[in-house]
Amino acid sequence: MSPVEVSCPACGAPITFRIGSSVVAVCEFCKSAVARGDKNLEDLGKVADLVETGSPLDVGLKGAYHGVGFELTGRAQLGHEAGGMWDEWYAAFSDGRWGWLAEAQGRFYLTFQIPMETPQLPSLENLELGQPVAALPGSVPLMVAEKGEARALGARGEIPYRLTPGDTYYYADLSGPHGEFATLDYSGSPPVVFIGREVSLNDLGLAGATAPEREARHVAGVQLNCPKCGGPLDLRAPDQTERVTCPNCSSLLDVNQGKLTFLNTLKPGKVVPVIPLGATGEILGGKYTAIGFMQRSVEIEGTRYYWEEYLLYNPQIGFRWLVHSDGQWDFVEPVPPGAVQPSNKYASFNGQQFRMYQDEMARVEYVSGEFYWKVTQGETVRAIDYVHPPQMLSLEMSVNAAHPARKQTPEQIAAHKRSVETGEINWSLGTYVDTRTVERAFGIGKLPAAAKPAPNQVFPHKKIYKYWGLLTLATFLLWLVIAISAPDQKIFQQTFSLQPLPNATSTQTVFTDPIELHGNRNIQVTASAPVSNSWLYVDGDFYNDKTGLDQSFELPVEYYFGSDSDGSWSEGSTTNSVHISALPADKYVLRLEVSWGDNYQAPASVGVTVEQGVARGTHLLFTLLALSVIPVIVMIKHFNFSRRRWADSKFSPFQSS
Amino acid sequence: MFAKIYLLIGIAVLGLYGLSAFRGWELGTPKREFVPADVRQSPGGYRSFHFWHSGFHGGK
Repeated sequence: MSPVEVSCPACGAPITFRIGSSVVAVCEFCKSAVARGDKNLEDLGKVADLVETGSPLDVGLKGAYHGVGFELTGRAQLGHEAGGMWDEWYAAFSDGRWGWLAEAQGRFYLTFQIPMETPQLPSLENLELGQPVAALPGSVPLMVAEKGEARALGARGEIPYRLTPGDTYYYADLSGPHGEFATLDYSGSPPVVFIGREVSLNDLGLAGATAPEREARHVAGVQLNCPKCGGPLDLRAPDQTERVTCPNCSSLLDVNQGKLTFLNTLKPGKVVPVIPLGATGEILGGKYTAIGFMQRSVEIEGTRYYWEEYLLYNPQIGFRWLVHSDGQWDFVEPVPPGAVQPSNKYASFNGQQFRMYQDEMARVEYVSGEFYWKVTQGETVRAIDYVHPPQMLSLEMSVNAAHPARKQTPEQIAAHKRSVETGEINWSLGTYVDTRTVERAFGIGKLPAAAKPAPNQVFPHKKIYKYWGLLTLATFLLWLVIAISAPDQKIFQQTFSLQPLPNATSTQTVFTDPIELHGNRNIQVTASAPVSNSWLYVDGDFYNDKTGLDQSFELPVEYYFGSDSDGSWSEGSTTNSVHISALPADKYVLRLEVSWGDNYQAPASVGVTVEQGVARGTHLLFTLLALSVIPVIVMIKHFNFSRRRWADSKFSPFQSS
Repeated sequence: MFAKIYLLIGIAVLGLYGLSAFRGWELGTPKREFVPADVRQSPGGYRSFHFWHSGFHGGK
């Protein structure tokens, strides 16, 4: 379709509708939003001037998504009820579709309108933050991440819907596990569904798009003067900052297009940041500047617990946090809400299950520096922490009181008078960072040591268990090798018949012919005697005639049995063995001095066997015991560590329910 | 660090186990003595410890 030229109904200037399906075009001269109907043009009112956000995009840019070319034909700026603002770009695709490209805090979300014939979607009032919307098409559930109210502010170019300046409407943003994204637009009934995903400029074929003035501002920052005291203050993220505090008079200032407005004077904080604002440090692969500091607290059973948070900023990476609590540190980054699946006392993220640690209302006690949202002292959010050391998943849920949309057309008010709670959920992933890393990163002095483990701190000696397992396995393998390779060779075997003894304390001694013993092989001597409720005692020696080496051993054989009130019993055996360390290889005489005092008047007999190279289970047992001493002590310490780690939790697995 | 120290100790224990098997060492082996042949061969010159001891009396 060829471009359609019309005259602006407000000022008469020429307006061109280049895209056949566009609905509104903004007059470049008088900023009127001009809608075209079947017959007439309609002046919808004047839009505000666009705020320079440093976006790399611009009307007229051409790109391609999944091989389909598009052109950015229009742009609108929409105001968030909390005071922030985001950009929406309208992409006319060559196949006739319109793409909605939302840009907020350096992220881009491309969505397309999906026709849904039946109103299966829940009403806005019935949408619950953090809950999936089952009626939407697609293979993955999309969670409600935000319910909000938007107001059309500025606009430019051609827009595919009827944008009325100043109009407000409710919407819900949904998030999926792998970057999926959707918006439900409740400006009409039934709601309009937009489904897509988070994209990069590279995905859009716009990798080369940059905003030079933005980069320049990132480097230089902006120096302004406090409207309250006139003192100088720096904005280190000027295009993102919504609130800043004056370092001279502790005023909280609102930032709007580089203009500062005094809001209130902050109560003095009771804590001094250990990382100075403006300090730059490299941590976990990124170089960040500490631009904001806040102290927050929760109240548990009447006691208020405090912690500190440092807002870090890197123009290429975005915002991150360093959280300092009880002397422990966490590096925190945002997580798409749809990537987390909470269920009862657990939450799953990235294939790992996190256990609920705390669920409290967190309150902002003190702020200093600059922030990318409209922070206020005393604001509260519901904060739920889940832990899986060394990580902690945190959910922050803010809910605004129910109110009707601030400005709706009479038709909209008549059609659906709404008074709904709005709010949003934010998931973040904290990673435990040891104190030394923070000290080194920001070049700060020695920080005090933590008194107790952090909720997501990994037990420091956990690696011992792995080594324990490996060593145990190696021990069994070695035992197997020893058992298989042991020669277990019988060296000598003889039964000796012994004459009766003259008295109970007498002994009878026998000598064997020299026995050839191998070196480096243990010796097992076994004695067998037909004892029955009696004993026989062998006092033996291996004696080397040449060297005079004498290795003695004792070998009692005793066997008793009987019955009593508990039944029959037995004790001992008719066979007993003794193990002796290897002797130097040579010939030895075996001397056996035998006594059997109880029945000394009767003849006796004893069989003696000598074996060498016998595999010994006792050695295996001793080795396993020796290897287990330290791990068992570590296990006890681990248990105590875990108890202390969960000590501050209402959901401790160590608490009896 | 502690885990590595344990690993080194464990390897030493395992090595000792292997060495004991290779050398035929046994725990609790009674003391060895050198008894000169002339002492042993002289009449009544050598008697074991148990000869002088009161002797074994059985378990019951």
